[in-house]
Amino acid sequence: MGLKLIGCVLVVLAGTGLGFSMAARCSERPRQISQLIAGLAAFAAYVSYATLPLAEALTRAASGLSGPVGTFLRQAAAILADRGLLSPREALEEALASGGRRLAWERAEREIILQLGSNLGTTGRDEQQKYLAMVLDQLRRLEQEALRHRDQNAKMYRYLGVCGGLAVAIILV
Amino acid sequence: MNLDLLFKIAGVGILISVFHTALKQAGKEDMASLVTLAGFTIVLLWVVQLLGQLFTTVQAVFKLY
Repeated sequence: MGLKLIGCVLVVLAGTGLGFSMAARCSERPRQISQLIAGLAAFAAYVSYATLPLAEALTRAASGLSGPVGTFLRQAAAILADRGLLSPREALEEALASGGRRLAWERAEREIILQLGSNLGTTGRDEQQKYLAMVLDQLRRLEQEALRHRDQNAKMYRYLGVCGGLAVAIILV
Repeated sequence: MNLDLLFKIAGVGILISVFHTALKQAGKEDMASLVTLAGFTIVLLWVVQLLGQLFTTVQAVFKLY
């Protein structure tokens, strides 16, 4: 009986943990997108007005950011600085592949970042500025969508986690 | 009569209703009805065994072999 009770408690706790972690991931996404927007806005300023090299502009843009987004930008900058032969897209791809698991971005954000990587450095300053403004616009739209998604689903994930754990415990008893 | 099963069915019913409400609030009506159906199936699986027992008992009582 005691063992059964401990097992039930563990199953319920596991379900609760799963639900809360999914809710946390859901509410982490808009925060990380807004961090990326802030970083890219700073990056755009460094590229257009200070005309810094790409790696340095990325490092400076990431300096104000903490968490996975800052780490990602710093990592991309480090890859670019270490291996100058890589294109920006390849560097961003590598940074996404190595540290991307901690980012709560979905495929749309990743695609935008990679598209940005392939466009960086291939056009003039004005074109690049326009492209960055468009990217920021797209990201803002994605942020709004992520906020709506969070408001809708974060609570549901929590409920479903707790109730799913309880249901599994009841069915297994 | 084993009362455990009744309590289990009641528990599943309560949880399924919470599931249904949460999913419906999140705008996932199709998932909500799927979950309800799944809960109904689980409870039906439990109840069918008891119904089988009931029929065998009825057969035994009235000697309907």
